[in-house]
Amino acid sequence: MDDSDTKKFQKDLNGGLVSLVLLAVLDRSAEDLYGYEIAKRLASANDGAPIFKEGTIYPVLRALSAGGLLTSRIVPSYSGPPRRYYRITEEGRAVLAEWKAVWQSTRGFVDRFID
Amino acid sequence: MNRSAPRSIDQYLRQLREELAGEDPALIQDALYDAEEYLRAEVAAHPEKSEADILEIIASTYGAPDEVAAAYRDTEIKVKAAMTTPVRKRAESAAGRFFGVYSDPRAYTALFFMILSLATGIIYFTFTVVGLSVSAGLAVLVVGVPFFLLFIGIARVISLAEGRLIEAMTGVRMPRRPPHPGAPGGFWSRVAGMLTDRRTWSTLLYLVLMLPLGIAYFVIAVVGLTVSMSLIFAPLVGLADHIGILSTDQVHLSPEWIGALWALPFLFALGVLLLTTLMHVSRGIGRLHAGYAKALLVARG
Repeated sequence: MDDSDTKKFQKDLNGGLVSLVLLAVLDRSAEDLYGYEIAKRLASANDGAPIFKEGTIYPVLRALSAGGLLTSRIVPSYSGPPRRYYRITEEGRAVLAEWKAVWQSTRGFVDRFID
Repeated sequence: MNRSAPRSIDQYLRQLREELAGEDPALIQDALYDAEEYLRAEVAAHPEKSEADILEIIASTYGAPDEVAAAYRDTEIKVKAAMTTPVRKRAESAAGRFFGVYSDPRAYTALFFMILSLATGIIYFTFTVVGLSVSAGLAVLVVGVPFFLLFIGIARVISLAEGRLIEAMTGVRMPRRPPHPGAPGGFWSRVAGMLTDRRTWSTLLYLVLMLPLGIAYFVIAVVGLTVSMSLIFAPLVGLADHIGILSTDQVHLSPEWIGALWALPFLFALGVLLLTTLMHVSRGIGRLHAGYAKALLVARG
């Protein structure tokens, strides 16, 4: 199996999963998080080969925010440009619950064939 | 893409900008902003490592510039497809195209923007003129510098807010993040960078010009609406006059025939024609204004 084929398969899989994981992370977090913090939480949960590059979560965060699933506020930072902190909205929680159910049934379905 | 891996944050941002060349300037501004937030946070989190050491592993954590650029491009396409209202079926006939403007939400939002722009124009103009003149007055004192910087900072926030407003009204992509603060350095080099940045001055120019533009937009919108609406409702008044519910004897009409019964359908048709033209003009002004705002408020790559 070619390595680039594996990468492409992973990328196709990630399409909606990144959004699901980001919503789940923000749903569990007690406080608002900014992009770098979220990236680091995902990286620490996933030692070994990263499932997705941390740089790819930023555009997804923006997309979720534009869709009303997240809200954000800007806080000045000493280390660089002002940080944008994200928080999940009520609409985001409702969507997350639906997506969770979709993911669980998809996973169960796939597992029945490959286990 | 085969080129040397970036060795510093500036090099990384430059490569990312090159990878995104040709994309919407607002998208480039957002991507550079996000990348810089991450890279600077990463450098700050590892004070024991040099910037070059950190950049070495960036390709495997944050992603190489071409990967990140691809992620922004893909997401932008998806978001656009999900968020923009579906394209209306183009009406075939000329009349269909002319009256089709009523089913375009952009025409209504642009009309609303034109009415609102008098208020925003007054606020922007006052803010800019007061800010500039007080800054000039305080220039000889020590407090002049922080005051001027505060003024420029607020102007940038206003420019971002105005961009969001324009995107909501016209659907033209505007930045979702404040402008990239530029190369790092001491406080004074940042100040100098801000003063030599063409966009700082074009933003102030935009804010000042919003007053005359706002007045013009407001007049076009209000005059267009009142004249066309009064023509459209003229038949009601005319009929009421003829039936005798209402008397317009005291009203002097000139030319005389305007009050005649046979003229009423023509007045109504003229009003509808005028209102439809106003909708077209509003939509056009909305588009033109968005392009103009983009030229003055958003940095070109």
